[in-house]
Amino acid sequence: MKLAPVSVPYRVLQKASSLVITVVLIASFGAGAQFGSLGFVGAIGGILVLTLIYEIAYYRRFTYELTDDTFDLQSGVFSRREREIPYGRIQNVDTTRNIVQRLVGISAVNIETAGGGSTEAVIQYVSAAEADRLQQEIRYRKRDVAREDERTRGDRDSAAETDARGDDERPEIDEEVLFKIAPSELALAGILSFDPRVPGLLIALFTGSIPFVSPIIPTTGSTLVFIITVGILLVGAIVLAWVVGALSAIINYWGFQLTRSADELRYERGLLQRYSGTIPFDKIQAMTIEDNPLKRRAGFATLSVETAGYAPGQAGGRGSEAAVPIASLDRVEALAREIDSYGTPSFKRPPKRIRRRYFARYVMALGVLTGILYTASLFVDAAADIPWYLPVAGILVAPIAAHYKWLHRGYWLGEDHIVTRNGFWNRETKFVAYYRIQTVLDTRTIFQRRWNVATVVADTAGSLSILGKDCSAIDIDDADAVSLREKLTERLNDALADRRAARRTNASFQWLDGHDDADLSTPAFERRDPNQSDDSAETVASDEPANTTDSTEPARPDELEPADTKADAETTDFDDDVDADNEEADTNGTDSVDNTEADHTDGVDDAEADYTDSVSDTDEPANGTDKN
Amino acid sequence: MNTLHPRIRIVWILRAVVRAGIVGAIAAAVAFFFELSPFIPIGIATVALVIGIVFALLRYRNWGYVVGDDAIYLERGVLTEVRTEVPLVRIQHVDSRRSAFERLVGLASTVVYTAGSRGADVTIPGLTPEAATALRKQLKALAIAADGEDAV
Repeated sequence: MKLAPVSVPYRVLQKASSLVITVVLIASFGAGAQFGSLGFVGAIGGILVLTLIYEIAYYRRFTYELTDDTFDLQSGVFSRREREIPYGRIQNVDTTRNIVQRLVGISAVNIETAGGGSTEAVIQYVSAAEADRLQQEIRYRKRDVAREDERTRGDRDSAAETDARGDDERPEIDEEVLFKIAPSELALAGILSFDPRVPGLLIALFTGSIPFVSPIIPTTGSTLVFIITVGILLVGAIVLAWVVGALSAIINYWGFQLTRSADELRYERGLLQRYSGTIPFDKIQAMTIEDNPLKRRAGFATLSVETAGYAPGQAGGRGSEAAVPIASLDRVEALAREIDSYGTPSFKRPPKRIRRRYFARYVMALGVLTGILYTASLFVDAAADIPWYLPVAGILVAPIAAHYKWLHRGYWLGEDHIVTRNGFWNRETKFVAYYRIQTVLDTRTIFQRRWNVATVVADTAGSLSILGKDCSAIDIDDADAVSLREKLTERLNDALADRRAARRTNASFQWLDGHDDADLSTPAFERRDPNQSDDSAETVASDEPANTTDSTEPARPDELEPADTKADAETTDFDDDVDADNEEADTNGTDSVDNTEADHTDGVDDAEADYTDSVSDTDEPANGTDKN
Repeated sequence: MNTLHPRIRIVWILRAVVRAGIVGAIAAAVAFFFELSPFIPIGIATVALVIGIVFALLRYRNWGYVVGDDAIYLERGVLTEVRTEVPLVRIQHVDSRRSAFERLVGLASTVVYTAGSRGADVTIPGLTPEAATALRKQLKALAIAADGEDAV
């Protein structure tokens, strides 16, 4: 397959325009450039011709092909490169189209795999229809490969049966719209995205241009006038920052839509530049729900999903694009549960004594600040009038800040997930399935050792954790930390064993009729291999095909409820967190506060109790309880 | 808990010497430029050296590892103690390598890679070359036996 022919002129213009701009810049700096001169026109013409030749060569050299089990790509003019990407390794496929590209009807396709510092395959550009076809085709082929895989791993005799399924059969994938941004939410996303870079930029400009601006400010008038003028300018800057942030958020998330098919999430968004991409469920590493005091008050939150692929749209900022910018908390939670069903977290906070540590930390920071101001007021004339003692007043706020920092920190071990929560101003609740854990670390700094606490980090292959946004239980009791680390490793191994067992049973039963049929779960249990231990419970997704080996919910045979476990889980939200922040201290706070009180003495048992408690709260069949 | 080979201290001390040398050289350049007393860079280098040696010794004391049934467990760190568990199923590949200093004292290290983004490579230093090779082979066998599915 080749690129779209239109991509040649588009790429030429794209490349040449930047080159021409550079040349013009260089020429204008160079002595006596004559823009009308023959040489100059010739140079630009030459650039155009050269890029045209290069791009034609690029177009001729660039081929891609969807083979049975790999996506092949040959490219390069000077140095040639051929790659084969196995479908099973593809993490996500994204397409982007900016406004010009949409006019010409082309679109860029990026294919991400795990590992590597950059996008594995960049296809610039194919026609929009071809981009969609590629996305779909890769999705189908991935499914085929996954099935193939399961077949070979499973019983041999099932192979004959599954062969009945024609290879060219393309069961229509039913897509279900999970989330569609409502106009009010879009507006809210806009309102809440204050872009702090704008005032920064303005201040930089402003201070740079004081000589020009100062005539506007009436220095001759009274101080009142002066203050008012400055105030107006300040308000103007803030409003501008707001407007810019709002506009960019609205442009980015215009028409945001998240759809789910059997084994993938698909997002679409953007007003001027249209992004769309797919995220296979079985490549999701972690989910994060983010909020801040304002959003918490209003009952809103942000959801983002991480894969191991290099996060799409790096340049545009952080992390994955399959993030729901803002939605009411229950919608976000329902959606998160839809993606990966977790229980009802009841967070276990760090020991209470740690608040004294935070308080000490704040006091120290205040002390340092005061010291700096004081020294400045002594030695710098201009700063002599600075009220250097002002930060000391912060000591009054420090205990409250310490309390809130503690209040919003915690972890929870669910049936299949570890959930951690950190931060007051930007609170992040991270969900990591046990089987996604790569390594488990517990660390204790020299200060943490003084307080006998430690931090446990569950490292995944997710892309956000590169930025230090790990799933971590910070400042938990030392003994707790050790047991948590051991438990996590154990549960990882158990979860993987479960999944293997599940796959074995699935492989032999799932594709009897070649369709993703929810009812398959029951026969799978009935025909369970008697040699298998009960511990490695056979798991079959109730409403998902088995090749998405992801959110298969472990079910204990004795409390077998084949279907609808998920539906139940959805309705049990953790309401206590919906409440506004200030209430949190008494609502969700009280019960867990008691827990943490007990911590000091028998932290480990407590955690255990906590865990089993909350599991029995949920209606889901509990496999995890066995393991304790 | 396995401890490292005692000779690893020599490697770390050598590294501390190199680091102190670099710090000293920078300090000397600064001192030369600002015409400060030559004792300042010497002092700085000495302090760096002493801290480096103390850290090397402490690091040796705190280092330990166990290859368990289903995970490698490591303990290390001077100021920040870190304990890592690397599940065997998560091992992507294993290296054994020898740096120049390590070759000098006849040691080697084994590096275990996972797909994780943070502790993606875990180094076990201070092994004799035979031990490093043996560990690599043992880990390989264990990782295969652990039958990890897709590591990501």
